[in-house]
Amino acid sequence: MNTQTIPPLAADAPVVLEMSNISKSFGAVTALVDVSIKLRRGEVLALVGDNGAGKSTLIKILSGFHQPDTGTIVSQGKEVRFASPRDARAQGIETVYQDLALIGDLSVFHNMFLGREYHKRILGLNLLDNRKMREQAQIYLDTLGISIPSVNSTVDLLSGGQRQCIAVARSIYSSPKILVLDEPLAALGVRESAHVLGLIQNLRQQRQVSVILIVHNYNQIFEVCDRINFLHSGEVALDASTADTSEEELIRIVKSGLGRKAIDAAAAEVRPGIV
Amino acid sequence: MPPIEPLKAGKNAVGVKAPHTMTERLLILLSRYREASIAVVAIVLVIYFQVGSDGGFLSPQFMSVVLRDTGRLGLIAAAEVMLMITGEIDLSLSAIFSIAPYVMALMSVTWGVPLAVGAVIGVLIGVLVGAINGIITVRFRVPSLITTVGMLFFLQGIVVSIYNSQPIVAPVEQPFNAIFGQSLYQPSDALLSWHGVTAFTPFLWTVLIVLALALALNRTTFGLHTIATGSNIIGAREIGVRADRMKIYNFMIAGGCAAFAGIINTAQFTSADPQAGSPFLTLQAIAAAVIGGTSLLGGSGTVIGALIGAFVVASLNNGLVMIGAQATVSDIYLGAAIIAAMILSIQVDRLRTRRRL
Repeated sequence: MNTQTIPPLAADAPVVLEMSNISKSFGAVTALVDVSIKLRRGEVLALVGDNGAGKSTLIKILSGFHQPDTGTIVSQGKEVRFASPRDARAQGIETVYQDLALIGDLSVFHNMFLGREYHKRILGLNLLDNRKMREQAQIYLDTLGISIPSVNSTVDLLSGGQRQCIAVARSIYSSPKILVLDEPLAALGVRESAHVLGLIQNLRQQRQVSVILIVHNYNQIFEVCDRINFLHSGEVALDASTADTSEEELIRIVKSGLGRKAIDAAAAEVRPGIV
Repeated sequence: MPPIEPLKAGKNAVGVKAPHTMTERLLILLSRYREASIAVVAIVLVIYFQVGSDGGFLSPQFMSVVLRDTGRLGLIAAAEVMLMITGEIDLSLSAIFSIAPYVMALMSVTWGVPLAVGAVIGVLIGVLVGAINGIITVRFRVPSLITTVGMLFFLQGIVVSIYNSQPIVAPVEQPFNAIFGQSLYQPSDALLSWHGVTAFTPFLWTVLIVLALALALNRTTFGLHTIATGSNIIGAREIGVRADRMKIYNFMIAGGCAAFAGIINTAQFTSADPQAGSPFLTLQAIAAAVIGGTSLLGGSGTVIGALIGAFVVASLNNGLVMIGAQATVSDIYLGAAIIAAMILSIQVDRLRTRRRL
């Protein structure tokens, strides 16, 4: 993981996404209550919470899998409605799910270009331009600072961290405005996690893509994110900037009890983030 | 390219370089060129039979028998490989093999439809049956094993009920018969005569189709999406691969290939037997596919390997008889070969993935 200092987020960075007052129930189960999140250009936001806190539901609404019962989504200044994941993708919102959606039997470069292959015409046949895809994949991975044994090796030969990096790289290739990473460190070892965190840090340094990280535990990602939102029982319990809050303070707040009021009271003690 | 400033490559590099060891290289080589190992088996077998038969095995006359069987089996095996890559299987191919030429011969005899036209209709029937198999499997989520066993009995029932299981003598039409299904090579034939060359056309058609399938599988978007469908169907769908369609398309290809193989078979015998394709034919084809290096697990497979596998099966079937063994002995070898090939295939895969970092 690299150690270079990350420039702070520009104060005038435009808001790229605003989800306001989102509520969602599945039958009798209430998944989200009046949740609002805001994301600025180039910002890395971590959504933290236990199982059932509503992180996944929120993300599935953002990526078009679920539709909210109430609330609005404003993307690049205009209100949007996502009927399907395709709609969300068209708006520049790419999501890397936990399963990564990589094809183990295909090479790294075929995975990178799956669904948007390069072709060349040979004797009137529309054949894959493997050489071009191979070169482009190599250049692109170098650009992101991702190193793998070979772009020719099949994905099932790569480690978990390398796979996560490939999945992220593939998503960034389509120039998204917002990149959502669902549990990017799940099931990864320390060294493996470092690869992924290094990649997020590289993205953060460039301040082009806004990133939403979904994690169980914020202590692994404290250094790579600008802001942390705690979700608890379907509500945003705390919105804190990592620049103004230390890791220890956050731990104290979280441990002080996870009810909204308790958190609010505790947060007033520190410094509330931009809600 | 996305609007991202390039970083200095290497400086902030994440991930590690993995050294390639000898064993790793060997395993990758073995898994990448599965055709090579089965080709070695085929060559050893040819030498064995050639020596055992005092040079009779590689005579044009005997080869026209072996290659006829290779062609018939290889075409169906290659079709099964495409399906097996998507994670499906088709056991109804033998029934398609019977019904397509039967319809062709029937139309020719009753309405005077030229065989060429009947052949096109026969292939279209095969494609249609494949589409139905695919749609039932994909839309109604019936496992393809069940869908196609149902289809096997259904079609077999239809084809035998048309004329009470009677074969129809198909009229000989030239050049249709010479091009698609010439009779076997005769001792009186010269190798470069019209009949001497066309005796091998059934095999050449299969080679042509297998090469086309290999090209489609390895060099086109269609092939890439076929592999993706079988390797990780959920992931493939998330990326936007139309996995259900890929399965249906491959069922259609399989149906078309089986129909074409049946038409070639009928042209050779100038007779359409409603029981030409026994379910045993499909099983032998699956055996050829497995021996050729395709696993039933989906995500990988080789049609070239299937063709070589078909040659091995056809050589065993004919060669053992030639060197004086009982006809049934070949099944013992075949059975052992299937199991050995599958064990090898799974072990290579397992070793290969275990070697990863």
